[in-house]
Amino acid sequence: MLLPSLAYERPETVEEAVALLRATRNARVLAGGQTLLNALKLRIVHPDVLVDVSRIPSLREIAHEPDGALRIGAAVTYDELAASPLVRAAHPVTAAMGSRLVDRQVRARGTIGGNVCLADPTSNFPPLLVALGARLRVRGARGARETDADGFFLAPYMTALAPGELLDSVLLPALAADQRVGYETLQVGTDSWALARASALVRCNGTIREARVALGCGPVPVRQRAMERALVGRAPTAAAIAAAAALAGEGFDPPGDVHASAAYRTKMAIVMARRAVRAATEES
Amino acid sequence: MPDSVHAIELTVNGEPHEAVVPGRQLLVHFIRDTLGLRGTHIGCDSGNCGACTVIVDGKAVKSCMQLAVQADGRALETVEGLSGPGEEPNDLQAAFTRHHALQCGYCTPGMLMSATALLEQAEELSLDEIRRGLKGNICRCTGYVNIVRAVEDVAARRGLA
Amino acid sequence: MSVPTRTDEQIATWSPPAPQAPSVGQSIPRKEDRRLLQGQGLFTDDLWMHRQGHVHFVRSPHAHARIGAIDVSRAEALPGVYATLTGEEVRGLTDRFPQIAPEPGGSAKDYCLAVGKARFAGEPVAVVLAETRELARDAAALVEVDYEPLPVTLDGVATTQPDAPLVHSEIGSNIGWEGVYEFGDVDWALEHADHVVRIPHLHFHRFSSTPLECNAAVVDWEQGTDTIQILSNNQMPQFAAMFMAPALGVRTDQLQFRSQDIGGAFGLKLTSYTNITAIALLSRKANRPAKWTEYRSEHMVGSCHGNERTFRGIEVPVMADGQILGFSATAFDDVGAFMRYEPLGGVIFSQVLPGCYRFQHLRVDYRTVLTNKTPVGPNRGYSRLQHLWMVERIVDIVASQLGLDPVAVRRRNYIAAHEFPYETPNGCLYDSGDYHAALDRVLELVDYDGWRERQAELRASGSGRRIGIGIGSTLDSGTSNFGQARLINRELQYSGNGEAAICKLDLGGEISVALGTVPQGQGHETTTAQVVADTLGVSPNEVRVLAGADSARNAYVAFSGTYASQFAVTGIGAALGAAKALRDDLYAIATSVLECAPEELLLVGGTLSVEGDEDRAMTFAEIANLVYANNGALPPEIADAVTLNRRFVYRPPFGVPDWRTKSGHLTLTYASQFHACVVEIEEETGATKLLDYAIVDECGTPINPQIVEGQVHGAAAHGIAAALQETLEYDEHGQLLNGTFWDYHVVSCPDTPLFKTDNLPRPSPFTPTGSKGMGEGGGGPLHAVCSALQDALGPDVVVTESHNPTERVWQLLHEPDAAAREGAEVRSR
Repeated sequence: MLLPSLAYERPETVEEAVALLRATRNARVLAGGQTLLNALKLRIVHPDVLVDVSRIPSLREIAHEPDGALRIGAAVTYDELAASPLVRAAHPVTAAMGSRLVDRQVRARGTIGGNVCLADPTSNFPPLLVALGARLRVRGARGARETDADGFFLAPYMTALAPGELLDSVLLPALAADQRVGYETLQVGTDSWALARASALVRCNGTIREARVALGCGPVPVRQRAMERALVGRAPTAAAIAAAAALAGEGFDPPGDVHASAAYRTKMAIVMARRAVRAATEES
Repeated sequence: MPDSVHAIELTVNGEPHEAVVPGRQLLVHFIRDTLGLRGTHIGCDSGNCGACTVIVDGKAVKSCMQLAVQADGRALETVEGLSGPGEEPNDLQAAFTRHHALQCGYCTPGMLMSATALLEQAEELSLDEIRRGLKGNICRCTGYVNIVRAVEDVAARRGLA
Repeated sequence: MSVPTRTDEQIATWSPPAPQAPSVGQSIPRKEDRRLLQGQGLFTDDLWMHRQGHVHFVRSPHAHARIGAIDVSRAEALPGVYATLTGEEVRGLTDRFPQIAPEPGGSAKDYCLAVGKARFAGEPVAVVLAETRELARDAAALVEVDYEPLPVTLDGVATTQPDAPLVHSEIGSNIGWEGVYEFGDVDWALEHADHVVRIPHLHFHRFSSTPLECNAAVVDWEQGTDTIQILSNNQMPQFAAMFMAPALGVRTDQLQFRSQDIGGAFGLKLTSYTNITAIALLSRKANRPAKWTEYRSEHMVGSCHGNERTFRGIEVPVMADGQILGFSATAFDDVGAFMRYEPLGGVIFSQVLPGCYRFQHLRVDYRTVLTNKTPVGPNRGYSRLQHLWMVERIVDIVASQLGLDPVAVRRRNYIAAHEFPYETPNGCLYDSGDYHAALDRVLELVDYDGWRERQAELRASGSGRRIGIGIGSTLDSGTSNFGQARLINRELQYSGNGEAAICKLDLGGEISVALGTVPQGQGHETTTAQVVADTLGVSPNEVRVLAGADSARNAYVAFSGTYASQFAVTGIGAALGAAKALRDDLYAIATSVLECAPEELLLVGGTLSVEGDEDRAMTFAEIANLVYANNGALPPEIADAVTLNRRFVYRPPFGVPDWRTKSGHLTLTYASQFHACVVEIEEETGATKLLDYAIVDECGTPINPQIVEGQVHGAAAHGIAAALQETLEYDEHGQLLNGTFWDYHVVSCPDTPLFKTDNLPRPSPFTPTGSKGMGEGGGGPLHAVCSALQDALGPDVVVTESHNPTERVWQLLHEPDAAAREGAEVRSR
């Protein structure tokens, strides 16, 4: 399949990239291209300019911030994420996700920033980042700003990035010793299309102290605050978690399509939420 | 805005190449039409089938999912680099024949390139890792069983199993 | 006469080569592999012609719409656009394609571009030829078509109602063909059976085996020679010629087809003649070659799919001991918007009417129905797999409803080994088999008893998981008698079948074989070389096989091609016949030159020698030299009699079936497959996992066992894909909802089980080598997976759909009434 007419630019720095994005109406950021190139082939999008950020060195870094958060550059690929000793040590669930996404070829090119900025309802990272309380560092003409993952995803394929802004990095807060992460997915096939996703971050020392649960595969990832409240103060028993999960589904409005009905997706998201909390409270 | 054009330099199967490519040209079209290396195939238009898989800087990638200009400065390997016409097939190619791991042969070049990268990047390979490792390549003829067996065989011979 | 001179050195060093071990029956490495492994295959998109333009089709976005004006002026105004073509022009330039159906179905108007109205979303309405592929696509986007959308008909049963919109108004209804197949006395059986099991509804879904290479063609209508050169991946070129020539008003010999490597076809590259016709017209109009390579998203919506079939009102008479007397059913076969290869499906299913069983009382009221969906093509297992799926569903539902063991019911009803050749109630002759032995073997391979124990343990454990063990018995009937078409349309002058091959000794004594078959991965070059090598006493490496279409080679008959599980019979039969004919030539020369009797000759290692006097010998090179370059040295009576270039047409022993009774010898061979699988279900989600999978196949004498096993694997993967992942779904407007590989979930490596297989040969008494055609596989996994689900779900649930994705399995578990429609009921005496 052939792409529509366009110009290609490959800036060397974030500043240059931001300048290009500002200077050109209808520019698009090209990172791994594992979705954007499809959209171009099928002529769903028609940008005038592609701004390739995949080689900007600062976007390819993984490093700890002074506050202990792990900074993952937006152009870090899935396989780099999976292989990074820093990510594996600090966020093993995130690293594992990088190793189970789609297929090896996609993992070699696709980036965490692309996954986040695409904001596809079935994307892997958005519900995880919401559960983790991740922050997103954004660069624009007026410098850098940070936003919570919670508020970043506005609608399918729509984020809080303003025109001319570029996602710089994803900041994963350090996990405390008593915090664990769970992530569960119902897929059509191995490492494949998801019908339901849920992610949980739970602080537990015999009693659940804090819980953040997010459902995926809806229009945007949604926190399950009633479920979270019901978990806090409870021992992490199967029964308690199941009772809390019965409250899941609030604000969740998944689409019905050729792969599954909305009703089934909702039921399964609740099952995944329960399993994610179980996974996050099981002794490792 | 008009199409941009770009001078690129890369190595193709070890040989240095220079070319001028349009910004919108996909790497797969550069390989097939410009380089004339027609072993790299196209089986879909959504990046799902893996028939166009090549190796760029040691990693298997789908050449329909990146631009030719993005290969600038990279080392590109295609199926033609495994063994040339008239040369003996390499160990992986020979294993594909031994295990009858190809039928129509359309997915085969992409499958070989995926398996090549998988074998080169791994220190050990379990059966499960081989099966998951080939997930990005669709074969509609073989049911995959014999492909997995062929890769397992090479992994064992290379001391990876 | 003189023997060609040998040098002393040649004589001194010559010794008779060791006799060759026969290669037939051995898994010799494939001759095709090296070029394909080295990226040197020649697929159609790899080919091009000087001055070629690129083709892009303009397709209807509507499933049903009247076409008003088409304005191509903006497209033609683009620099580099060579020509356009619209449906209105096509109406003037061509006749409609011939139809297989009799009236009224035969009155359907099928042109290479939509004429008057579009009948499915994706139907080509115009086509553009331009300098580059990008430009052709851009120009196609500038073609303006006035559409007046019409109401659509999409449901395969509702489309037969009087108020349904008509797909083809000429037909007067949406029934393209209908016929009743009735044998034995079903009404008597229903009345006298101990139980009657009623199954109101079964539905076999629409899917496609989606060959990885899409359709492609490079066509040059050479105006000087008035020859239409067609490089393509069409899999049955002479069938295509029979449809194209009358439409184009040309002689069939003006259509020169060529192909080399084909990237899978599975029956879906049979009807690409419609596209090739449009491209030919475009080439003539622009006076330059035209190249077309279909995009995947075009293939999904615009080529063809497998048949969707709904069965209604199934009634099954059963005796108390588990004997099933037969069945009665109504079938609605949804073929989409055009019939093309249809309604042949309406007779081909009847090759396997009773399945693997001794059923004696059978009635199928069959309707080929039209809807505003993509037309169908004969997808792998064509028409038999839909029917066999119903038969296997019947067996499992009967067992489930009556509390019988599904294995025991099968054993009770299978045709017994001693009954072969077995004549079915509709006159088909099953050539050979041993279904009981194959079932036993597959149960052993899958460890049936072990899984039954595990199943009971799991049931007791409360783990939230359960397993089902399923069986699929199926047939892969091959080598059709085209006389069966007369059961559809008695006017058709078709019967029998055939294939051609040419075997020749070339100038230097080299052996080559040209085939009429058009392989797509089946290894014809290898298996042909094996058979020919054994016949001519050489190694398969010494036999060059020219596979793929080439009209100029003249190795074809009307039915040539690769489809319908027949190569091991027709293709091999032709190659074997041609090789034997060449051998006759070699013997004629050798007996004359060496002055011996034929029975004194030894044929070994490319040399004919006199037994016991091995110095009296001729190599193939010497024989070739005599005939091609030294014929003055040959006696005229020999020179006139031999050609070393022998064409042979294999013709299976068929007569003409009886259209009045709809019975006869419809196909020659019956390969069989027995599948056993273990499916685990996670109750909470409905997610399924195949824990084990075994297949035993029987296809007569295997020529190359590894190639046979590869075909078994491939067919099984297609069935598993269809059972669990692959379905083509439409919305209420007739828009295909999963028209790319993004949405259409082709099964991948980790989701395909590592099949255990075995082969139990029962040579066919009817074929040249005892081999049977095979490869289509009969859809075994669809039967086996449904069987396993039924086993896991128990008698309260009836698995009525052939496609059971996660959500449907969940529904069967949690909302069985909604999921299974009307279920099943038993009436007992």
